[in-house]
Amino acid sequence: MSTAAADPVLSPTTGEPVAVVARRNRLGIWLCIVSDAAGTVSLLIAYAYLWSLNVNGGWAPKKGAWAPDWLFWAIVLGMVVACALLWWGVKSVFAGHREGLVVAATLSSLLLLAMFILQIWQLATFPFDISESSYTSATFWLALSNAFHLSLGSLLVLAVVNRTRAGKIGVDNPFQSRLVAMWITWLCAAALLGAIFTTAMKDSPNTDPPAFQSFTQPHTS
Amino acid sequence: MSSATEVMRPEEVPQPKQYGKPGGFLRHTNIITGTVSGIVLAAIAYLVAGALRPPPSDENALALPVGLDPQFAAMYIGWTIGLLLGIGAFDGPLRWFLGHDLTHEDAEYMAGAGQGKWRYFKYTTDHKVVGKQYLVMSLVLLGVGGTLAMMIRTELGITWMEVFNPNVYNSIIGTHGMVMVIAMIIVVSGPIGNFIVPIMIGARDMAFPRLNALSFWLLFAAVPPLVSSLFLGGIRDGWSVYQPLNSQAPVGMLGYQTTIIVFAFSTGIASVNLITTIVTMRARGMTWSRVPIFVYGIIGSSVMGLIWFPMFQYSQILSWSDRVLQSNFFNPAQGGSVWLYENLFWLLGHPEVYVIVIPGTAALMELTTVFVRKPLFSYKLAIAGIFGVVGISGIVWAHHMYMTGFAPSANYPFMLSTELISIPFGFLVLVLLGTIWRGKVWTRLPMMAVYAVVWNKVVGGITGVWLSDVPVDQYMHGSMFVVAHFHFMLMGAALFSAIAAIAYWFPKMTGRYLNERIGSIGFWVAFAGFQLCFGSMFFAGLQGMPRRVLQFDNAFNLSNWLSTIGAYTIGIGTVIFLYAIITSWRGGQTAPMNPWAAQTLEWTVPNPVPLENFKVLPVVTTDPYNYGVPDPYASQVADVGDETSQKVSVS
Ligand SMILES: [Cu+2]
Repeated sequence: MSTAAADPVLSPTTGEPVAVVARRNRLGIWLCIVSDAAGTVSLLIAYAYLWSLNVNGGWAPKKGAWAPDWLFWAIVLGMVVACALLWWGVKSVFAGHREGLVVAATLSSLLLLAMFILQIWQLATFPFDISESSYTSATFWLALSNAFHLSLGSLLVLAVVNRTRAGKIGVDNPFQSRLVAMWITWLCAAALLGAIFTTAMKDSPNTDPPAFQSFTQPHTS
Repeated sequence: MSSATEVMRPEEVPQPKQYGKPGGFLRHTNIITGTVSGIVLAAIAYLVAGALRPPPSDENALALPVGLDPQFAAMYIGWTIGLLLGIGAFDGPLRWFLGHDLTHEDAEYMAGAGQGKWRYFKYTTDHKVVGKQYLVMSLVLLGVGGTLAMMIRTELGITWMEVFNPNVYNSIIGTHGMVMVIAMIIVVSGPIGNFIVPIMIGARDMAFPRLNALSFWLLFAAVPPLVSSLFLGGIRDGWSVYQPLNSQAPVGMLGYQTTIIVFAFSTGIASVNLITTIVTMRARGMTWSRVPIFVYGIIGSSVMGLIWFPMFQYSQILSWSDRVLQSNFFNPAQGGSVWLYENLFWLLGHPEVYVIVIPGTAALMELTTVFVRKPLFSYKLAIAGIFGVVGISGIVWAHHMYMTGFAPSANYPFMLSTELISIPFGFLVLVLLGTIWRGKVWTRLPMMAVYAVVWNKVVGGITGVWLSDVPVDQYMHGSMFVVAHFHFMLMGAALFSAIAAIAYWFPKMTGRYLNERIGSIGFWVAFAGFQLCFGSMFFAGLQGMPRRVLQFDNAFNLSNWLSTIGAYTIGIGTVIFLYAIITSWRGGQTAPMNPWAAQTLEWTVPNPVPLENFKVLPVVTTDPYNYGVPDPYASQVADVGDETSQKVSVS
């Protein structure tokens, strides 16, 4: 904060101090997080609801193969480390060390990219098919949404690297790095929720669901 | 406040490197490049998806057959991304990524400086341009939806023969519903929210100008898929398209899903932008107790959109997945549940009513103070009403599902929460009435709409309380009574409020007076037609006529004839009103800066509003409803109509 008081850097497009623009952007990021969280909650509702109903005994995967837990947690762990690295970089640029952010964000973006690849690998090697059961569908989508998150997140952190090296993010204008770090923090929370749900909710509590005869649905295209 | 918050002229600030001419890539993009690129990418995606399609297998006989779905899904994705590419939406993020930041000249070009009328057909960031784009878009959508409505009423009025084939008729119903829902969600928040709100709070633009352009062009991208679905089998199952009908419908359903998914992004972005603008960019001195009530309405609506729209979006993303990827979210044979769809759908589906009604109602409060020249009756009650509705809106959705068997034991709690929400909603009506009470009313067109809306809202509200009652709903659900009820709310309350809002801010948005003589004729003709159309529809419903049918017993003939006559009367009134809007916009009488002698900030800027709204940012020292207080504004009221003598009343 002390950096802004002496000789504030001004935004070239609006003429306001960049610290003022940054406060505005921070609210924007918070609201984006709220909105994205509502989407993630929808997926979690879908997962938990179908798990609790076990309609027609169709929750469990047909071949009995649940997704291995460790992979979800490995991805969460990687994301959390990447996030911590980025925050460390943010702290150092706010403390006046630009180089710290370059190094930390580079490592963080590489780690996020690795997690993205791991996430794609998980999607490709699930021991089931998306169409096997409602569990497989819901789990597939939790993983898919995390893949979307990771692709966007790694790009954003890469942009921080780029912009810091180009001098657009620096000691006197460090704010955008913190905005990206906030967003990555939320992505970690979303991934964590997904891991908790897929780990904790496997066999449906509804062990005696009403079964009805299988039916095929007419298609009229 | 230290001098650090003082705003310098951007030209005097050190500028980053200028890449090319100001505007860069966006100099070459417009609606034509966007549309062409959307169509080309859609065609390519369609062909590629067709080529890549795996041969059908018998392994999973229980799953839904996929048919042409992947190709059409690819086509709609191609259209959306192609349009955004071609209009230049990815230019900003790319430049940010590369560190090629905008210069002041870039930003001015993007805001439309020096581009004349073309700026309305480009990725323009100026909030006033976006507001007008939204206005035209909502009028077009209302026109399309209205035409479909006339087709519905024609079929139902001509009781002695079938005008449309039943599938076509059902598609008309579904498309009418969805088109109108979109039109009503944007009709106030879009034009007035974008054009007026930033000026009203004393800001130079929205918080995120490029996101503002993005929200409009996403809306633009969302409409063609919906229209195209009419030609791809249609939306035959009502606007809510419950599962499993959603999965069983022809491929046109992908158009419906695409529309909702893309429109939800548009609304989410617009909500983030509006809330951030209002919270962080208010003029100095505009404390929360001096914020005009309309601005609170926009916040309330945006908050609901922000939280609930993603759930609605996911009801369609997962349905899309069921069709295209053969997942099982809603396929009960494989563990899916149709209740999941209904829950996700109505989690927005009901709050959406308030997303629509609240901004319009808040606009009425705003203009009632002006035309009654009294302070708003209980500003705090109005705010409590708005946020009471926002708070409760999230826990009422299952009143749409009493009869589905979803959770019979939850019916009564949902009945209570629904009846509860009528209390804060009632506050809003009381504030309007209290403001008019013992006032000396200056009866202009916007003020007439207040009377009309209060009546419609009472009818729509009371019938809504009846329908929320579980035993009543057992008999009334799925009947024409429901249709009449929600039209009283969405059309009677919301659309008539929107008309008032547009008429009130018309002089600021266009610099011209709305022709009130013709406008009022149109308005009252439409109002009379509305009462006839939906009033008699209540009787059809009470008699037991179900909704969404085209053949019915002769017992219902009379009320349907009356409804159709009413609908045509609405049609005539609307055409007259549209005539007034178009002719006034093109050549109406020039309006002064502050034709209503109102006290909010948007009336302190000249017509046409300059690019950055205010030369000097205003400072607010009073609340905006000082009418009737022996006041320093008397001279201003006397000066109405004389453009040269306008004074800035609030600074
Ligand atoms: Cu409802």
